[in-house]
Amino acid sequence: MTEMSTNARETNRDNAHNVHSAPGSVGDRPRQRADQARQRRSIRWPSWILGGGSVLAAAAFAWPFFVSAVPADAQVAVPIVAFALIPALIVALALTLDREMYTAKTVALLGVLSAVGAAVRIAGAGVGGVEAVFVLLILAGRVYGARFAFLLGLLTIAVSSVLWGGFGPWTPFQMFACGWVGAGAGLLPRSHNAPSHSATTRRWRARSEIALLAVYGVVASYLFGLLMNLWFWPFAVGSGTDISYQAAADPGQNFASFALYSLVTSTLTWDTVRAITTMVGIALVGPAVLAALRRARLSPRR
Amino acid sequence: MFRLRLAPLCAAVVLAIGFVLLRVVYRVVFGGAGAGAGPLLLDLPRLRLDGPFSHITLFGPITLLGLGNAALSALPVAAVIVFFGLLNAVVNVQALFARGAGRGPLRAISRSLVIAWATFPALLESVRRVRVARALRAERSIASLLVPIFEQTIERALALAASMETRGFAAVRAVPGICETPVLMADAGLHFGADWHLDELNVTLKPGTLTVIVGATGSGKTSLLHSMSGLFQHFYDGTQHGRIDIAGADRALTPPRDTAGFVGLVAQNVRLGFAAETVHDEIGFALTVRNVAPTIVHARVFEVAARLQIVHLVDRSIDQLSAGEASLVAIAAALVNSPILLLVDEPLADLDTAARDRVCTVLGQLAHEAGVCVVIAEHNTKEFVSIADAWLQIRGSRLHQLAPEDDHSTPQPDVDNAIPARKLLAGAPALSLASIRGLSVSHAADRVVNDVSIEVLAGDLIALRGSNGAGKSSLLRAIALPTAADTVIVAGRDVHAYRRRARRQAVALVPENIDDLLFATTVAEECRRADRGLPRFTRTAPATTQRPVNTAALFAHLLGFETVTDAAHLLPRHPRDLSAGERLCLVLAIQLAVRPALLLVDEPTRGLDLAARALVRAALLTAAGHSSAVLFATHDDDFARGLATRTLRMQAGRLSEPIEVLA
Repeated sequence: MTEMSTNARETNRDNAHNVHSAPGSVGDRPRQRADQARQRRSIRWPSWILGGGSVLAAAAFAWPFFVSAVPADAQVAVPIVAFALIPALIVALALTLDREMYTAKTVALLGVLSAVGAAVRIAGAGVGGVEAVFVLLILAGRVYGARFAFLLGLLTIAVSSVLWGGFGPWTPFQMFACGWVGAGAGLLPRSHNAPSHSATTRRWRARSEIALLAVYGVVASYLFGLLMNLWFWPFAVGSGTDISYQAAADPGQNFASFALYSLVTSTLTWDTVRAITTMVGIALVGPAVLAALRRARLSPRR
Repeated sequence: MFRLRLAPLCAAVVLAIGFVLLRVVYRVVFGGAGAGAGPLLLDLPRLRLDGPFSHITLFGPITLLGLGNAALSALPVAAVIVFFGLLNAVVNVQALFARGAGRGPLRAISRSLVIAWATFPALLESVRRVRVARALRAERSIASLLVPIFEQTIERALALAASMETRGFAAVRAVPGICETPVLMADAGLHFGADWHLDELNVTLKPGTLTVIVGATGSGKTSLLHSMSGLFQHFYDGTQHGRIDIAGADRALTPPRDTAGFVGLVAQNVRLGFAAETVHDEIGFALTVRNVAPTIVHARVFEVAARLQIVHLVDRSIDQLSAGEASLVAIAAALVNSPILLLVDEPLADLDTAARDRVCTVLGQLAHEAGVCVVIAEHNTKEFVSIADAWLQIRGSRLHQLAPEDDHSTPQPDVDNAIPARKLLAGAPALSLASIRGLSVSHAADRVVNDVSIEVLAGDLIALRGSNGAGKSSLLRAIALPTAADTVIVAGRDVHAYRRRARRQAVALVPENIDDLLFATTVAEECRRADRGLPRFTRTAPATTQRPVNTAALFAHLLGFETVTDAAHLLPRHPRDLSAGERLCLVLAIQLAVRPALLLVDEPTRGLDLAARALVRAALLTAAGHSSAVLFATHDDDFARGLATRTLRMQAGRLSEPIEVLA
């Protein structure tokens, strides 16, 4: 608690020096903001916790491939640990990010955008696999940065699950996967050249940005599908079939089984539909939504 | 915390059964259903895969025991699914988060979740409105639906953030306030972007006074007000020079959240700023975020509500308030901390006469009885003549102080009556253009429009008057998008029978929320989209017509420019960055470009200054010609009187003087 208020006071002092900038506004340029942050804090705990948490979570998702490295006696416990680890990590990361996000603008944007995301997700649930919510996550990640988008992914899933009554053991895994989709978009490279006043350069730059995001959307859609399958595969198939997860088998065989399961159940169907939806969605509404998100940190209407 | 909802449980049971069946299918397909002795059900041929999948065999024999085993092995996971369904059915997670929103380590995320839930009704309303707007513009693209909704949502987020910020959300230190000098500006200057600035501000305001800031649309009334609230410097990226002290606190260094204890703000659109779900929580918000004990919050909420005489509203949900009630609740929420300085931004814009009087009386009492320093930005100056102590007028980049006995309101060249509308149209033959026959509209159980009949003549400029909730907007929408046949006849044809695009040539509506119709990122693109929807004959119109033929030219024309090139500086702008008057002209241009026979306009002067009103007035005059007419709804007396050829009054869904429909 003490640490938290120190942290907040520090941020506050920083804002007081800088009247020109909106305090706590979510930045369009996460890298620059990150640089500033690096200067004012010698140790950046949140980043380490975020990075470490994500690596741990990735391990928990991919437990079937790591299990042979664990001592034989402990192997039975691995699925259960993986199962419990993800929700615990969610809580830990949420706690870490919460104090960073405690400004009016961030909280309001986060709340309102996660409502939009949840509405999109629920509206799209009837049309199987059309996860249009990725469009929002990717565009918001691009504008507001990785941390904001990670939380947005978490909250979107939380809100839609609560609304639809679909809270279950799968929810934390979905949260993580969606958070990563958003955070990944926030980490995509951006042009650092001086702002150009030529209309053609600007138009070209805007188009290449949309193209980049659309390609990322396709990649993210397939990766999301694979991740969710990876977690669900041992439970969905159970034991006793030829594509079952087998603790004793070598990783190559398990991987082949998983690949077949993935291809058959989602990669060719749901994931492809999702990839197309995301790409088309970004191309259609991307420019306008990016403009709206970017304007959000600008002028008041006089 | 707990409640029973069966739907999640049912869904979970269906999901669990699906899961069991799925596992059986997996075993059948991937050769696992033949285990055990049991009777053989089916012997499918085995199919061996090769390559990396060489360990996999498809199909094979199926035994009853194999199937049973498969189903049995799925039961533990199925049970987990049902268990979570049960949890979902019993635990109210929403309430759990609402508890955490005030305090605790997850307060930011919990507050976000509360906001998310509070956003859903607004989102549904937004979808409904934008769908109507889309029909009005005859657009069918996905972008025309999603972009306006998204823009509205972002706008809501910002308004909400501003309202939370000024009420002390995320504050870490409370600055003490000094009552003697609520506002002190010495040689202060405000800069925003490249084109707006206000210099040499020297203002001192005393407690117990009511000051009104006046000025043209876009002159910066709101910015000046927010230079006192601190949002200008700390939220909207504006720059301050010189000295601005608010109750002793240096505004340049103190963010709004730290002065929430003695500065109250009532924003322009109060509904957008509501951060809680009930009136009680909304009024108490500023105290709750400071971790004040619930019993004290409760007592204080009732104290403030009693002072404003709105105790009967306290238990209501926030979305069940009328426009006037919402304003009073927002004022109460700003008063809960007993502010030294109360800032109010255009409190009268949405209100009818009765609600205006109520709000004015309350603000006057706060200043003169409770000793609060009240500052109001407003262009409806008439209402404040009797209670204002000082007037600040923005002219160009300077602020002028007007004494109370001066001509306080903006100079009133009688623009509204400059050209008598009737004379202009004197030569027009009075042909019947449209007839509305027995039109009714029902929302749920209420009849908001009840059997309205109107006869419209060519050249008519009809003003539709009536208080808030009289059914004016519903009537206009029903005329533009009739749901029943033979209720709206324009130029001898039933509007209901028209197709999407052709309908706009008969009737076009400019709704109250004009932003709903805009979805492009530049004005130029917006005009191009509108041109694409024009029927071919208009696009290739012969030179005989005086009117410009494309939307961009019409837009320039409405703004008073000779050619499009004169308005070129506006075309690359984002439509939502235009001033209120310019945006209205853009939407008017989009709707007038198809040359509708009957143009309907809802509240054309809301939030506009005299210059912008003159533009709108000229646009409406052009729209009512030899074979066309205009019907507009308004609260604005002067505007209606100066322009209308006739006035219709509406009350509780009916015309108060029903007009006979000619054969």
